[in-house]
Amino acid sequence: MIPLLLEGLESALLPCSLILLIPGAAAALAARQESRSALVGFATGSIGFAWLRFSDRGGDLSTGVVALLLAAAVVLLAIPVIRRLNVVTGAGGLLAGVAAGVLWEPCVSTEFGHLLADLPTAGASGLGLLVIYMSGVLAPLLVVGAVMHLVPRPALIIARPVMLVLGGGVLAVLAMSTAAGFTDNLIGQLVEWSIT
Amino acid sequence: MNRGQYIAILLVIVAGGALLAVNLLSNDDQTTATQVSQPPTTADTQGPDPAPIEAAPIEAPPILDDSPGNLTDLDGWLQTDATEFAAFDGQVRVVQFWTFSCINCKRTLPNLIALYEKFQPQGLEVIGVHSPEFDFEKDPLAIQKAADELGVVWPIAIDSNKTNFRSWQPGSRFWPRTFVLDQNGKVRFDHIGEGAYDELNATVEHLIENGP
Repeated sequence: MIPLLLEGLESALLPCSLILLIPGAAAALAARQESRSALVGFATGSIGFAWLRFSDRGGDLSTGVVALLLAAAVVLLAIPVIRRLNVVTGAGGLLAGVAAGVLWEPCVSTEFGHLLADLPTAGASGLGLLVIYMSGVLAPLLVVGAVMHLVPRPALIIARPVMLVLGGGVLAVLAMSTAAGFTDNLIGQLVEWSIT
Repeated sequence: MNRGQYIAILLVIVAGGALLAVNLLSNDDQTTATQVSQPPTTADTQGPDPAPIEAAPIEAPPILDDSPGNLTDLDGWLQTDATEFAAFDGQVRVVQFWTFSCINCKRTLPNLIALYEKFQPQGLEVIGVHSPEFDFEKDPLAIQKAADELGVVWPIAIDSNKTNFRSWQPGSRFWPRTFVLDQNGKVRFDHIGEGAYDELNATVEHLIENGP
């Protein structure tokens, strides 16, 4: 289990995982002080749909549906009038997580490769191991959540509009780029900028 | 959760990061120690030692897929005069879906290079199907430069629109994914990700020595 977790942590540093981490961080930002609910929802959605897909149990949604999920996440997370309850924030995070879980095409290491080979027949134990791996992949989101919680409240209040626009904006751009079919290009541009 | 709990979580993450760093550094050490006898690779091709290509004979590998695979709608080929996949009919073929910025793909290369060196004279062909994740990986010049740096000398099929990446992997798709096709074009090996080098080598050796 430790090698699997370590591989997940390593994968978190790779460009292949940006399609998980960017919408997750955006959901946390858009949810502001309720980032915990959004992150729990996001992790549930992304892990759940990754498990469905990788174990051949379904979960392949069209890009149009994925774009709609992301748009719905923006509405639930970033529109203050709607986003009053933790459960709504959690649902917004869940929708963003499902979208990310569907879009994710992972780069696969050794232990994760073995897990993927076993997933279709492994049942609940396979899901448990996938949770361990993805805990590593999604670990940066824990840091995002923790940092947001540690920020002094006055600073958080001042930063709220910025976080709202930034988080909601990133999710909205992802929704539009998914609908237009160039999410890969968008993430690729980010990767290229980060390299150069 | 209160701040103390969050700080505890942060500490756990930092500890995990430290473990990861130790793990990566130990991989670096192993690579450095073994590169003396390896074909030239870049520093970040941190694959494990190529499995010794002396695998014991195994039973005939099972046929995993009866329908011969094909590569269609390609954006061209590199490092070969071939213009279609059928040019390699009748040969044992290792078909690997990869992209040059994928570290997990790079780590499979030392074994593949050793395998190619040993069995290419006996009829093995390796075909790297370059299916880019990002736009900047689509440039054929960039692919060729990366291939030169990584020691990839086998034919490269350019699959920039990922048509074949998707058709060979219906449902979920992964980098890298390695298939072995026998002389009749039937799939005899299929592996997702790094690893399974012994199985790959044994499958190729069996098909080369015993036929399909």
